[in-house]
Amino acid sequence: MEQDDADGSLDSWARFCSLSNELLGGDGDLSVGPRLAPVVADLCTRGLATLVRDYFLHSLEETFRNNAVKKFWQHFHPYCNASPVDRIKFCVKEHWPEEILSGALEDICLEKSYQEKCVLVLVHALQSYEDRTPKRKFKAVDCSSSLMPRYQLMVSSVLLTTLPLSFPEILNVYFKKKLEELNIIMAGSYESDQLGNHELFESSNTSDWHSGMDIDGQDVSESSCLVKNIGKVVRDLRCLGFTSMTEDAYSSAIIWLLKSKVYELAGDDYRVPVLGSVKKWIQAVPLQFLHALLTYLGDSVDYDSGSSGLKSPLASRPSSFPGIGVPSEALVRWHMRLEYFAYETLQDLRIGKLFEIIVDYPESSPAIEDLKLCLEYTGQHSKLVDSFISSLRYRLLTAGASTNDILHQYVSTIKALRTIDPTGVFLEAVGEPIRDYLRGRKDTIKCIVTMLTDGSGGNASGTGNAGDNLLEELNRDAENQENADYDNHANIDEKQAWLNSESWEPDPVEADPLKGSRNRRKVDILGLMVSIIGSKDQLVNEYRVMLAEKLLNKSDFEIDSDIRTLELLKIHFGESSMQKCEIMLNDLIDSKRTNSNIKTSLLKTSQTVAGQEEAEISHDVLDATIISSNFWPPIQTEDLVVPASVDQLLSDYAKRFHQIKTPRKLLWKKNLGTVKLELEFEGRSMQFTVAPVHAAIIMRFQEKSSWTSKTLATEIGIPMDSLNRRISFWTSKGVLTESAGPDADDHTFTVVDSMSDVNKNSIANERLAEYQMTEEEGESSVASVEEQLKKEMTVYEKFIIGMLINFGSMSLDRIHNTLKMFCIAEPSYDKSLQQLQSFLSGLVVDEKLETRDGLYLLKR
Amino acid sequence: NTMKVKILQWHAVASWTWDAQDETCGICRMAFDGCCPDCKFPGDDCPLIWGACNHAYHLHCILKWVNSQTSTPLCPMCRREWQFKG
Ligand SMILES: [Zn+2]
Ligand SMILES: [Zn+2]
Ligand SMILES: [Zn+2]
Repeated sequence: MEQDDADGSLDSWARFCSLSNELLGGDGDLSVGPRLAPVVADLCTRGLATLVRDYFLHSLEETFRNNAVKKFWQHFHPYCNASPVDRIKFCVKEHWPEEILSGALEDICLEKSYQEKCVLVLVHALQSYEDRTPKRKFKAVDCSSSLMPRYQLMVSSVLLTTLPLSFPEILNVYFKKKLEELNIIMAGSYESDQLGNHELFESSNTSDWHSGMDIDGQDVSESSCLVKNIGKVVRDLRCLGFTSMTEDAYSSAIIWLLKSKVYELAGDDYRVPVLGSVKKWIQAVPLQFLHALLTYLGDSVDYDSGSSGLKSPLASRPSSFPGIGVPSEALVRWHMRLEYFAYETLQDLRIGKLFEIIVDYPESSPAIEDLKLCLEYTGQHSKLVDSFISSLRYRLLTAGASTNDILHQYVSTIKALRTIDPTGVFLEAVGEPIRDYLRGRKDTIKCIVTMLTDGSGGNASGTGNAGDNLLEELNRDAENQENADYDNHANIDEKQAWLNSESWEPDPVEADPLKGSRNRRKVDILGLMVSIIGSKDQLVNEYRVMLAEKLLNKSDFEIDSDIRTLELLKIHFGESSMQKCEIMLNDLIDSKRTNSNIKTSLLKTSQTVAGQEEAEISHDVLDATIISSNFWPPIQTEDLVVPASVDQLLSDYAKRFHQIKTPRKLLWKKNLGTVKLELEFEGRSMQFTVAPVHAAIIMRFQEKSSWTSKTLATEIGIPMDSLNRRISFWTSKGVLTESAGPDADDHTFTVVDSMSDVNKNSIANERLAEYQMTEEEGESSVASVEEQLKKEMTVYEKFIIGMLINFGSMSLDRIHNTLKMFCIAEPSYDKSLQQLQSFLSGLVVDEKLETRDGLYLLKR
Repeated sequence: NTMKVKILQWHAVASWTWDAQDETCGICRMAFDGCCPDCKFPGDDCPLIWGACNHAYHLHCILKWVNSQTSTPLCPMCRREWQFKG
């Protein structure tokens, strides 16, 4: 009995083996099925169901491995074995890897589907046994129902264990190329939409794209065909168990295409908004693709229209996509993912070029607006701050950049970032290094004041309103703002509003942004400018010195633009702060009136005095600016002996002033003012506008054609070095020549004989050349704020030196605090940190001190 | 000598002064060449006036002083009866 049994088992087993070999090896011949069933049933009765299943699976694996897998991978060997350079050659081939991939997939899937049929044959055999013997069902059911899943598992594990490393790469290339193709097809319809076919596109609710009907039948059927092919490849790949690898491949291809699309649309043009186009493109290309693909694969299940209870976790699910209709949840996720990626890409791109964008501001405001939207979405503001600060340090805050450039970029930065960041928090962080850097520059205050008050583009002697100054612009902005904000509060007394703003001081740097600020919008930029300088008083002081310099060098009394600027400054800094400047301008107005009164009366008198010896020069040529010196900054006075004829004019003028304004008297500041004169050489002449000292010098050469510097200095009443400095103006113009004098430090100056000599030595060859002194040739009439400060600070120099001897090295703060603590006797120390810093940097320039790691120490 | 200098315009700078003996007004302690506390502009707008005693004040200062006195006003400096210098 047992022997019988064993023989029967062996017999059945041998038959089973040969039949399954016949089935698996056969060329699609499934007729073995009916013969196999009894053998399987017999073996099952003998309790060998598991063995049957395992043997069968093992044979399938062998066959699959040998017949299909090897062949499948062989298709890709040429690429996988190629060097990285050669791989590129594959990629540029037109139908690569599409052709190979779909062919290979077709073959292997064919083989697989045959094997699946074979599996089903066995499943049937097992099932029919089960049906007949319900008692023993349990074991066999286990085998039959697990057969197909085990087979699928076998297929994917065989493929994955033999997978060449570069297969994912091939898939990636495939999807990239296909998407690119799709993009080109879609570009036509997408662009025609851009051209104004909005409504058509928006309203065309053709949710069934794959059916081949859309805006443009041909494009869409072409694209739907393309998607169908891609879908087939995806389905085959999934069938082989490459589900997640495939998803990764087309995801990364979509992302890659999106990225290059963003780069292409954004480019280096900051003057057009791109975010809208990017978002439109996302809907037009990748989303349409995904929709079609998911639909083709049967993945697109719309939960909302299906079961009622399932709520989408996505808060803002769009009700409808153009061309798609109500999207599936998978598509909504994709939409969000792609948009986020687009925002982030555009944001990074714009942040990387923020410096250029700001240089281009306000023309670049579309780019700023895009960036603002991106940052609102991603919340990555800190990226902007870090990146921008480092580009500032690298590109702007360098020794080569002029203070003016830095300031202008700073103002543009403020304006641009104000849009992105109305609370000013990031602006604060970005502005910090600029402000710190500017505080270390000597001409910062001057440049700020010039930028605020000078509309002539930095040219102090410029005429008219060549352009708005910053103050004018800020004021106009504020007015616009006010008109917009308070349209229905028309009765607000504007004067009162200005009065309120008089008491305004900039917010401290560490101000809590949540607290807000009075008048923030109106004074934002100005406040930041003032915070660089330290205080409004310093700004006003610098302005006063610059104004004085400008007014004292005028040859007329035209001050309209200065009055306008003063009015603006009064608005922002208060009337009392500007009192002295107002008096200075008033002096010019008074001078104009007085000057014309005096001249009229002088000319009348000289006419009535008949037979007088003919005056060398007429009273008509003399004009005077008469100042209230108590209200002007300290004036640089220097003795000067002017020619007798001029002196006569001056004293006549002063006498007449005294007559008109008794008991007031005039005190001439003879070194100040401007002189227009003409040098006449035989028939030719040249005009110059110079300082009185230059006029006094050249006029002496009428009496005598040669002078030594010593005698001339004595005659004119100025020191030798001063004379040498001034006379070089005339030698540089070719009017005087210099030769060795009686001794080493005494030179002889001789006037040239004729114009031709002048021409030889100078650039002038016009019959009537006109020269204006350049800024370097002129000398300042007013002590600069720096010079004033230096004078006031000199008292503390010995304290500072003493401290440094004791302590070695000290920080700016520490020096400041120590001075505050100990210098309380007259004159008590009342300077600001910025003033001290500026004084110390003067000492560094003078090589008395040096700085190391931000500390001051004595120079050895 | 062949060169001639022709002055076309000489724009000079001067300052004005009341030329009083003292620097500051004895009443308001402000500079004479400045203005009294009530005035905005110095010079014509805020003139000086001399008393018979030869003491000078801002006109506005001495007028305020004179008007505030109940009896005969005296010069704040020398206490002599205040009279404007003719
Ligand atoms: Zn007074
Ligand atoms: Zn007054
Ligand atoms: Zn008196």
